[in-house]
Amino acid sequence: MMRRILTSLLIASTGAGLLGLAGCGEREQTAHYEDGRYRGKPDTPPYMAAPFGGDVMKYENAMRTRAQNQNEYNRID
Amino acid sequence: MARMKFICDAERCIECNSCVVACKQEHNIPWGVNRRRVVTLNDGVPGERSISAACMHCSDAPCMAVCPVDCFYKTADGVVLHDKDLCIGCGYCFYACPFGAPQFPQDGAFGLRGKMDKCTFCAGGPEPDGSEAEFQKYGRNRLAEGKLPACAEMCSTKALLGGDGDVLADIYRQRAMARGKGSEVWGWATAYGRPEGKPSAPRPQDKPGPKAPANGNGGKS
Amino acid sequence: MRNSSILSAAAVWVATLSLAGAAVAQTPALNPEDAQRARAQQQRQRTQPGNDAPVWRDVRYGEPKVSAVRGRETDVLIQSEGQTWRAARVPMATTGGFVFALALLGILGFYLWRGPIELTEPPTGRRIERFTRAQRIMHWTLAIAFTTLGVTGLIITFGKNVLLPVFGYSVFSVVAMAAKILHNFVGPVFVVLLPIMIVMFLKSNLFKSYDWPWIKRFGGMMDRTGRSEVPSGKANAGQKILFWLMLVAVGITAAITGLILDFPNFDQTRQTMQIANGIHMVAGIGGVILLAFHIYLGTVGMRGAYDAMRHGYVDESWAKQHHRIWYEDVMSGKASHGDRPVKVVEPGRGAA
Repeated sequence: MMRRILTSLLIASTGAGLLGLAGCGEREQTAHYEDGRYRGKPDTPPYMAAPFGGDVMKYENAMRTRAQNQNEYNRID
Repeated sequence: MARMKFICDAERCIECNSCVVACKQEHNIPWGVNRRRVVTLNDGVPGERSISAACMHCSDAPCMAVCPVDCFYKTADGVVLHDKDLCIGCGYCFYACPFGAPQFPQDGAFGLRGKMDKCTFCAGGPEPDGSEAEFQKYGRNRLAEGKLPACAEMCSTKALLGGDGDVLADIYRQRAMARGKGSEVWGWATAYGRPEGKPSAPRPQDKPGPKAPANGNGGKS
Repeated sequence: MRNSSILSAAAVWVATLSLAGAAVAQTPALNPEDAQRARAQQQRQRTQPGNDAPVWRDVRYGEPKVSAVRGRETDVLIQSEGQTWRAARVPMATTGGFVFALALLGILGFYLWRGPIELTEPPTGRRIERFTRAQRIMHWTLAIAFTTLGVTGLIITFGKNVLLPVFGYSVFSVVAMAAKILHNFVGPVFVVLLPIMIVMFLKSNLFKSYDWPWIKRFGGMMDRTGRSEVPSGKANAGQKILFWLMLVAVGITAAITGLILDFPNFDQTRQTMQIANGIHMVAGIGGVILLAFHIYLGTVGMRGAYDAMRHGYVDESWAKQHHRIWYEDVMSGKASHGDRPVKVVEPGRGAA
């Protein structure tokens, strides 16, 4: 009786160890992401905020204009 | 979609440290944490060059790869962000990062690390954009306001540029042509020299929800 | 008139001196290599204005420069060692994980094939004191610390692959946070206990001439009848090897590297911590594997072994079977616990 309990305990713990074996292959060391979504808790993309209201083109254009503001050659002309 | 990057022009940086101050002030960063810093080479002698350094939002980000709780994520703009609710403060990202970007508030006993803090490209975190919770944890979300990072936008000599990598490259090329020399770009080989990881089999948590369309163009396709 | 000119001359002199002093104080102390690189840049600038190649080379050296921002290695622009550390972790963790899982499988296989090592003779009821109270308290304190460190270490190292897919991000983060805090706070306790434990058990774990036959025949453990066990002293050769590997080699290595990682407030560089982390991981996985063997043989693997550490006493036939030479020493009065003889309790009487 005792021995059976011990055997099943050992098998259970080794089973857990085997489960762990499945994880031994360290996962790919590369970044994996998908469109700013995460953990089922969305990080709303910036273009969803009030100034753009989901218009991705408007956001992109704003970013481009803003980036070009850093170009002082535009101001010289 | 834009791919957000930083450029620092060593020919122009005058080591005024305004980017450091601007960052601290914009995000209300606590004492002892510096998301951005300026490093000077050949300090005080002819040939002196200064470079402003922060998180470069790498393509194949080492911090993402080594994080034991997988708290990092990347936005569609290529900005590397992290979730402070998940971070356990182990310091692995600090070991791995080539640029020394991850910072740890170490006000606990024996230098016990708190939650990691780093440059967010002024893009906040997972909390709702512009919310108080987001500001408390990650600082201001300027991208959601249609602005670029504070450090770059206020740089007086326009040595530090931030924004879509292609646009920046154009600006920088024009500049390098005009002055004839100095076309090297600091840190880009280290940060963007390795390809972005191809998505492996998507995990259930990564499935796109109704709010953020998977095709990344605002659901207009 | 004369006075005022002397005064003004003195004022000019003082001003000049203080300016010179300030200039001297401002001049950075470039070390010879840095000065060399600065000269390279100066020459390049003269021939090709705007060409910063020497500076860019300098950036990649990863050496400390000058920064107004204070903090850990804020004056280093690019450190390349992090990529090496990141790349080296994969094969180390993978191999270590597989070896650990194989060790667990090996233990299960051994148990199914061999079963627990039973007593070959019926117990006589005469009980011999094997461990003193102090030794037992020490053993269990260290055992709890070691196991806690082992389990939390496994969670931090393999949890991302094993537990994260099961628990999900939020729950696993809480688990990992608890693991990290336990690991960081139990660690120093372990560091304090370890040398005491080593000193306490050192004497019985010094190798003797009769250990060699035991090693050659693996103590007769492969004999399923259990009748060919090789005589051994208070600790057999296997236990001695375990002592030297698990406590001395693994324990001290993990303790030193662990202290480096646990106290990041001494301005140790990232490279120091990367190397310490790698060594700590290898030592840790070795430690949990040895721990698994030890727990197996101390509990289900051998009848009566657990009672020896739990209550401190073993039956006479157990001592005779597993530690013949020690048993004979006890009977002849040669064995002792420090400055007092080993207690022997006759049947029918309570433990002292």
